[in-house]
Amino acid sequence: MSVAPPGESANCVRGDLMAYATLSLISIFCAIPFFWLLIASFDGNAQLFLRWPETWTFANYLRVFAKEDGAKWLFNSLFVVGSATFLVMVLSGLGGYALSRTRAWWKLPFLYAILLIRVLPSTALVVPLYKFLLTLNNAEGALLRPIFGSATRDIMRWTGFIDGYLGLILVLATMQLPLSLWIMKTFFDGLPRDYEEAALMDGATMIQRIRRVLVPLALPGLAASGLFAFMSAWGDFLLPLILLSSPELQTLPLGLFRAFLRINEIDYGLLTALAFIYLVPAVVAFGFARRFLVQTFSGGVKG
Amino acid sequence: MIHLNNVRKFYGALEVIKGVDVTVEDGEFAVFVGPSGCGKSTLLRMIAGLEGIDSGDLVLNGTRINDVPPDKRGIAMVFQSYALYPHMTVAENIGFSLSLKKVAPAEIRRQVEEVAEILQLGELLDRRPGALSGGQRQRVAIGRAIIKKPALILFDEPLSNLDSALRVQMRAELQRLHRELSATVVYVTHDQVEAMTMADKIVVLNQGTVAQVGPPMDLYHRPDNEFVATFIGSPKMNILPVAVTRESADRAHIAGPLGMSFVLADASLSEGPARMGVRPEHIKVVDTQAAHFVAEVAIVERLGVETYLTVGSIEQPIVVRVEGDVTFRPGDRVPFAAETTACHIFSPDGRILRSAKAA
Ligand SMILES: Nc1ncnc2c1ncn2[C@@H]1O[C@H](COP(=O)(O)OP(=O)(O)OP(=O)(O)O)[C@@H](O)[C@H]1O
Ligand SMILES: [Mg+2]
Repeated sequence: MSVAPPGESANCVRGDLMAYATLSLISIFCAIPFFWLLIASFDGNAQLFLRWPETWTFANYLRVFAKEDGAKWLFNSLFVVGSATFLVMVLSGLGGYALSRTRAWWKLPFLYAILLIRVLPSTALVVPLYKFLLTLNNAEGALLRPIFGSATRDIMRWTGFIDGYLGLILVLATMQLPLSLWIMKTFFDGLPRDYEEAALMDGATMIQRIRRVLVPLALPGLAASGLFAFMSAWGDFLLPLILLSSPELQTLPLGLFRAFLRINEIDYGLLTALAFIYLVPAVVAFGFARRFLVQTFSGGVKG
Repeated sequence: MIHLNNVRKFYGALEVIKGVDVTVEDGEFAVFVGPSGCGKSTLLRMIAGLEGIDSGDLVLNGTRINDVPPDKRGIAMVFQSYALYPHMTVAENIGFSLSLKKVAPAEIRRQVEEVAEILQLGELLDRRPGALSGGQRQRVAIGRAIIKKPALILFDEPLSNLDSALRVQMRAELQRLHRELSATVVYVTHDQVEAMTMADKIVVLNQGTVAQVGPPMDLYHRPDNEFVATFIGSPKMNILPVAVTRESADRAHIAGPLGMSFVLADASLSEGPARMGVRPEHIKVVDTQAAHFVAEVAIVERLGVETYLTVGSIEQPIVVRVEGDVTFRPGDRVPFAAETTACHIFSPDGRILRSAKAA
């Protein structure tokens, strides 16, 4: 073993220092917007530029919930994205399982085809999608109006395809489903069939096999697929913008956007507070899913 | 008693089980052995009910069970991967089949503890499989099988995930369990040593057919064909191309490679090409005048109590077992003779023509 000459090791240290310095700079550069968001949201008199607040206050947050419809936006966002995520987890769990276990010839073509949905920018599909949903919506309206009369509008707020929760939930779920299906299919590929067969030999019915064996085993995969679906749907702005118009259906990003567009002066305090509220669920979702993602199931195979 | 009657299995047009007839008696430890891909797992899974049976009958204790669902057959299976549920404790794993049947928790606990007692798993009941060693997981997997009090327990290469020391230990353990539970066992392995050491009855499979069925020493001494002869026993039986010529009504002359030439007491062999099988322990070092052949030593493997010599050419090596402390060295030319009573003669396509006389 040879000893590195002193000059070389010094070089190493210097190289390391350079690397750390560069990385730190990049990190700070990335972190500053978030930092600004955080402190500005507590600043009684927030400005466009980063500054230390003169007075710390919750007034911005109070304004979001008292003066604006912040609570409703938050609920709408959580409800729509949460439902879409739930839908994606159920469908990708079942579908991923089926895709993993089937030997059908169309399996690969199908998998690539659905991935195409993900690759195509949804913006390009906005017009036909809108047209399609509008037709569905009108048909639903025509069906419901004779039965429910004036209550139809209230029902359609939940079940409508345009300007209703259902339409947005379905479209968001559709956009997220391909990736989640792939995740779950790959996950189930790695899960030996022995588990199900052992359960079958033990006399488990189909429902018992799913509930007591497959779902617990699939939790890490479901967490991953749900997390990706949630984060991606949570960040989506275009679809709610196009599909929702009623003020009471606005989601957080729409509320944020509209607050930003107001003609009179820009209220940075309100905007940053809103933005911060918008960030929190994504971070919470990440923290929640992380537990399952890192959970290694080292059971079963090999000693 | 489990009986397979002309059982067949196709994957598409490919026939992987080609008419298998096997009977395993109550309390018997039967080992299905054969090279990789010969259909052992498929056959076992057909017995378990995890694969359908395309034709033939599967009869357990007098009932045809071809169409009985897996959990109603009274058969338990230990998987090669163990398939222990990682999200359940050892106790939950063992008691899973009972909990599916809605047995009262106290009763499950009692039975689980009973099984844990037999398998020496007492302190591990509240652990998860991830926190167990390979041998412990193996025992949990067995516990999950025996708690069902099955008429038949199936094992698919259960020891292949263990290191060799543990494997020897688990072999003894499995035999002890088999005695204590007086269970009927069908055990699949590709390892003929496992088959020889554990089986009451060995079923040798080759490409989806039964090559031979019998007690271990029968297969060792009286193989029905060249496949079984070379598959059973380690090191393998030597197989040499020979020519048979008749000397008289009860004597046949054998000529083989390396100038091999000797006379067998035999009345039935016909003249022509054949294949001779002789085990390493049935070739002896002799005086030059008694030699059947003289060959150059290529490799000397000393194992202590015995030594294996590989002699002859690379194309036609012959393995000979000699005493542990011989002084042969590679390059020595040594005279050998085969024990004529222990020579098997096979037809060119591998059927037995003349069995060894040895017990
Ligand atoms: N689902 C399947 N489709 C098509 N062929 C299959 C299928 N499963 C098994 N086979 C084939 O059937 C044959 C027997 O397989 P099997 O798994 O029973 O072999 P095995 O004797 O258990 O081998 P090993 O010792 O490697 O486990 C193999 O040639 C295999 O390629
Ligand atoms: Mg196998």
